[in-house]
This record gives sequence, C-alpha cells and structure tokens, in this order.
Amino acid sequence: MLARIAHELYWLGRNLVRAEFTARVVDGVFQVELQGAAADATPGVVLGWSELLAMLGGLEAGAVRATREEALQQLTLDPAAPASMRAAIERSREGARTVRDVISADMWEAINTSALTLRGDGGGGWLAPGGPYLSCQYVKERVALISGLAERTMLRDEAKAFLDAGSYMESADMVLRILRVAFPVGDDASASGQALALLQAVGGFQAFRRAVPAPPNARPVARFLMFERAYPDSVAACVDSLHDALEAADASPRNSEPVLRLSRMAADLDFQRRTLPDDAEIGATCEVVQQELERVDKDLAERYFAGAARERRTTVV
Amino acid sequence: MHMTTEASSAPPERAYEPRPSFHDELFEDDGSPRPVAAALLEALKRLGPDGLGDAGHRRDAIFLQQGITFETIGEDGPSRERPFPLDLVPRILSGPEWRTLKQGLAQRIRALNHFVDDVYHGREIVREGIVPWSLIAGRSHFARAVHGIRPPGGVYCHVAGCDLVRDSDGTWKVLEDNVRTPSGISYVLENRVAMARLVPDLFNAYRVRPVDQYPQLLLAALRSVAPSADSEATVVVWTPGPMNSAYFEHAFLARQMGVELVEASDLVVRDEVLYMRTTRGLVRVHAVYRRLDDDFIDPLEFRPDSMLGVPGLVRAYRGGTVAIANAIGTGVADDKAIYHYVPEMIRYYLGEEPLLENVRTYLLTEPEQLEHVLANIDRLVVKPTGESGGKGVLIGPTATDEELAKMAIAVRAHPERWIAQDVVKLSTVPTAGHDGRLEPRHVDLRPFAVFGERIDIVPGGLTRVALEEGSMIVNSSRGGGSKDTWVLEDGEADDRAESQLPDPLPPALPDLRYGGWTGQAQQQQQGRC
Repeated sequence: MLARIAHELYWLGRNLVRAEFTARVVDGVFQVELQGAAADATPGVVLGWSELLAMLGGLEAGAVRATREEALQQLTLDPAAPASMRAAIERSREGARTVRDVISADMWEAINTSALTLRGDGGGGWLAPGGPYLSCQYVKERVALISGLAERTMLRDEAKAFLDAGSYMESADMVLRILRVAFPVGDDASASGQALALLQAVGGFQAFRRAVPAPPNARPVARFLMFERAYPDSVAACVDSLHDALEAADASPRNSEPVLRLSRMAADLDFQRRTLPDDAEIGATCEVVQQELERVDKDLAERYFAGAARERRTTVV
Repeated sequence: MHMTTEASSAPPERAYEPRPSFHDELFEDDGSPRPVAAALLEALKRLGPDGLGDAGHRRDAIFLQQGITFETIGEDGPSRERPFPLDLVPRILSGPEWRTLKQGLAQRIRALNHFVDDVYHGREIVREGIVPWSLIAGRSHFARAVHGIRPPGGVYCHVAGCDLVRDSDGTWKVLEDNVRTPSGISYVLENRVAMARLVPDLFNAYRVRPVDQYPQLLLAALRSVAPSADSEATVVVWTPGPMNSAYFEHAFLARQMGVELVEASDLVVRDEVLYMRTTRGLVRVHAVYRRLDDDFIDPLEFRPDSMLGVPGLVRAYRGGTVAIANAIGTGVADDKAIYHYVPEMIRYYLGEEPLLENVRTYLLTEPEQLEHVLANIDRLVVKPTGESGGKGVLIGPTATDEELAKMAIAVRAHPERWIAQDVVKLSTVPTAGHDGRLEPRHVDLRPFAVFGERIDIVPGGLTRVALEEGSMIVNSSRGGGSKDTWVLEDGEADDRAESQLPDPLPPALPDLRYGGWTGQAQQQQQGRC
C-alpha cells in the first residue's frame, strides 16, 4: 500500500480517537464541575478545566487558570482551535477524503455526515446538537459508529492495521496524558479526590468496578488505567493492540524496530504490573512509557511512511 | 391538494411549452409527447410536481452525505461545497439513434488517434496539404518531447469524450472533442444509482441499458496497453490531489477499478522505470491513468516549476517501461483550431464519410473568414482555442456591445488564438424547477469512449443541462446541472443486457439445522431432549 495512504490512515485513526476522548473528558469535567467538590474531599486527583487544557494542549505555559467558557470554546465546537473535537472531526474528514478509495463507503459517509452536522450547515436538515452535553454525546456516538463500521466493513488488511495503529497510539497517549496531569505525585496512598469522576470521564467506571475490588482511590485507579489489560483503553492493552496491528502490517516484523520496541514495552508493563505493590506510585513509569511511545511514533514514520511524516506538519500537539 | 385537483382536470404537461424554434427531445413541436417519452411523462404526471420536489430534497441530502459534491467559487471568494445538481427528469435516446451516434463517435476517435500518431511521426497529413504544419506546431499542446514515441498498440487516446449537441432540426453535431482528460464519467454512474433510488417508478415502462461497466472497461484497456511481461500489470490513477475539483472522480475511478490513487509524491523514476512508494518499499508501476495536463507531469521536460510532476517520467515513457493514458501530446488533437479539420481527417485516414457533422467553424487566420466573423460577431460564438470548460467563450447574441467590441479587438490582435462558430440552437429537455414543475432547458451530451484493444462507448453519457431559463451554458462550474441519460434496449443482439433464460429458482435448503427465525428456541428445545 502507498506510504502516503498508510500515513493518512494512521492519522485518521488518531484524529477519530482524539475527538472521542476529548468529548468524553469534556463531558466528565462538565459534570464534576457543575456538582462542585464535596466539602470533605481530600486532595488527590484534580480534574478541572485547566488540567484539561493542559492535557489536550490548549493551555499556554504560565497561563492563569482557565474558565469554563474558555475551555469549552477551545475544546468543543471551535474549528479554529486545534484542540477542539470539532477540529479533530474536520481533520478526520479531510483525511478520509484522501483515503476515500481505501476505507469503506459506509465509513466515509459516517465521517462526512458527522463533520457536516457539527458544522451545522449541512443543508440536508442536519442540526448541530446544542450545548456541550449533547455535542459531546453526539461525537462519542458518531466515533463509536465509525469504528463499528470500520470493524464490520473494512477488509482486515494493511489499511485497517494502520488505521488501528493510529487509534491505539492515540488512546495510549491520551490515557498517559490524563494520568500525568491529573494524578498528583507523592501524596498519600488513600487520597481519592476526583478519581471517581475521572474514571467516569474516561468511560471506565463500570469496568473498574467489575475488575477491581478496591475503592476508587487515586492509586488503584491509576494502576487500573495503566496496567489492566482486560480494559481496552488501558495503556497496557493499547500497547498490546498496537503491537499486534503493526505485526500484522509489517512484511518482516522480526526486523521492525517499532514492533520490537512495542514488544519490549508490553513485557515491561506486564512485569511491573506483577511486581509493583498495589499502592505503588506510577508517575515515573508513565513518563517513561510516554517517551517510548514517542520513539515508536518516529520509527513508524521512518519505516512505513517513507518520510511523508517528515514533510508534513501535524496540527495535533 | 390544490395541485392534484388541477392535475386531474388539466394534465400538468399542458403547462409545459417547448421553446419555439428549438428541438425538444420529449415533446413534439405541437406540445404532444413524443412516442418514446409518453410512458415517462405519464409516470412524471403520477409523481406530480410535489413528488418531484420532495425527491429533489432527498437527492440533495443523499449527495451531501455521500460527498458527491463539487465546489463553486462564491462571490465572497472561498469555495463552497454543493451537492451535484442532478435533474430528476431523464433524457431518452432510442436504440437506433444511439447506434448511429456510437458509430460516428468511434469513427471520429479512430481518426483523431491516427492524427496524433501522424503528428508525432510521418506527418503525412501535412505533406498532403490537408492541415497546415504551422497550425499544429503553434498549438500550446503540441509536445515536441514525445516526437517519435509510439505507445503500445498505437493507442494515444485511451479515454475520449466528445461534446455533442442537437440542432433545431434534431440533427446531432459534434461541438468539441476532448482527448486529454475528459471528466464527468463518475457522475454518469452516480446519477444512475441516485435515479434508481429516488424515482424508481420512472423506470417502470423502460429497459434502460446499464452504464456501470465503465470502470472495468477502463481497467481492461489500461491493462491491455501496459508493458508488463509477467504477472498482472500494476495500474494507478494519478490525481493532482484532493484540492482538484475533479478529485471525487479520481477517487471514484480508483475505487471502482480497485487500483491505487497516487499523487506525485508517491511516484519516483529510477533508471527509466516508474515506481510508487509503498509501506514495503518501491513497487513498479506499469500503467498510469493520469488526470493532469502534459504541462505538469514532468518538470524536466515540460514546465520546470510544476510541483505536481514526477521528474524523469517522460524518459521512462520514452524507454517504453510505462504506459501513460492518455498519451503525452494528445492535446494537439482536441484543440479547437484542429477541430475544423476532423471531417477531413476521417476522409483521409479512414477513407470514410464522417457520420457526425461538425458545427460550422470559421478559422480566423484566414483573412476572408476573419472579416466575415468581425462583421457578424453578434451572431456567432467566439472561443479561445486552447481552453476548455467554457472559459473565455463569448456568445454573440447574448453579449453586450462592450463585450463584443472588446472581443473584436482581441481577435484582431491574435486571430490564431480564437475560432468562431455558428450558434447552435441547443435542444431542450423538460427539467424540474424548484417547485417541481417542468420547464424546457438546454442540454448537451458527452459520451465517454474507452480505446484499448477496441473502442467501447458507455451507453449514453453525461447530459449537462443549463439550469437558467434560456441559458445555453451547461458547464457545472457555471451553474449547469446534469441528467441521467437513458439509452433504451431495442432487442438487437449486441444491445441486450440480460440473458433470455427464465429466472432460476433458488435451491431449497432442507438440510439446515435451524431453518427459520427461531434458532435459539429450537436449540434450547433440542438441548432439553
């Protein structure tokens, strides 16, 4: 397959997940903030608009704390703000237009209508959903629809593998960002703060409840998001899936640097999961994993995208 | 409600008035339906203006959803995506009528192909004194770089589209040849799909010949000219990129043919062989269906500032390692100044009489004709020779005095850059307005031919329609729409699309374990016993 097309597919996967994740956390923070913190809340996980902007790359260094309006505008429907979910959907559409002959027609139509609806000028009677809650809900549903269509209608070939690789990479990256921004370093092990809200924001609350008997304190939650392979959005699960996707796409995976690197990461994550005590602090691990993933991203561009990545600038921070 | 009561007493087609002195394709001059169109008009009457209007709204929604759009430049600058304007009233061509057109087109394309070959080789036609050499060599599309190169099979014009029009007496005439990169075929296919979805009732009384074989014809033609000794040839479609207005069509064709859609950055020439960059290294390319002009394809041979080109491509082409469709240099044959000579070419190369007429054309390089044109400029159409897409065309009868005066100056200054033609009174076909009522609108027809081992022409083609009342400008970039074009089956053997065998019965499936819907309950019952 063409290197340029593989590159577009990879970024299509990333942009779609980026849009969905943004929608989820914006919705989560919106809920938390409306309710206000409980009076007896212990300091622990902090989840506010500034954290969100810091995480998604909309906050300039040294800026004052962001207000809700600013954050909502930057993260939801402003097409000019690169971190907004609408911008991510628009980028997906541009990407999908380029790879229209590779993805299925159903998928293209789903992506196209999503973008047109968010624009609100579809002309075909599509109304942009009103308010942050509905628009976040809309984006979540549409991305679920699009990925469902990808599963059901795309040939499981290289193209699908690169699309998947992009989405796993983005998922892992997003979870790592949230872990590094929202989880405090070095406080006491039983602090909970807004850990529960955060779980809800990333959509893992029920999964956590079913998988982990511990109370939703900061550390078990962090551990769950990092190591729980049975939870599809955890870093460990994403690394595994990313590894599998690239292995499938590569003609000679045993000589492929990104595949080898991912395989080492997966083993390392598993090792840590088994050896670290339950309430260990994992901030440092997050940092290392994130740096490793960045290297994988560079390897990918070198090995598969024929330098296409070098010429293009990417708007995603 | 009011509409229907009116319709029952007075049929809506009575409100339809064919424009006097123009040929209407569905109605006779006296306003009665032509025999071939009677059933269609009956079905339209049943649908009514409201039904037609509703279907129009559904059409726009579906086209937007599928991204079947084109971009228009708004008055404020930035382009806007609009659904491709398909008119829901089809145009009908009878079987015999189409057969004549088809033969005429094939003849014309064969002659044009001979002409291209001749221009870059022996130049017999010049020596015979039929076409002046200065005229050929002076064309901007004349490509010196490909002199002496003969592509596989001697085919240059793999894909051709001629613009046909119908004059006031109903005769077909060729208005323009297009043997560079004619576009519009994707709309022909999409229009048919959309029509079958939106207004299936219109098809009831007709057997319409299918059009969807085009991509396979094109792929077969490209494969047949590809210089590959071993396995299947690698064919690609080369697009200038997503910003191109016809990008939809490029992607459509690549998808339908199941081949890669490449941009210049994907292609590279090494040692006179063309490759594409893939995730697994370089892969050789045998045939390129390119959708950009000669000027841009190779910065080493043509425009050095082209960012869309592949350096070294012409060298690979000359080396015979890659087929390019259409061949480089074909633009010399569809130049508007060359158009005048096409009937002569047919006589000279094929020894046949042309089956399709040209529109009367005046060459402004001849002083006598120039004077005649300048004296009658308000009654003629003046066109620039090297342009396409209706750019720079002046239609005398509708132009202002100022425009006419300006044109006269331009023509006098550079007579070789212009030609003049008689105004053709384009035929009309009923077309649904915003309210679903039928009005006569002018149309042309662009059939698409594929030249591989033989010439295949898709039944019908793209009918373009001017949506403004009285307008004769049908280009979609300037407010034109399109119509589905029906070529009817007439029982001739080579026209039949389906076999005459009775429908086969599906096999019965008595050995299935869970025959019906209730599989789960059946399984539970079986588990119990």
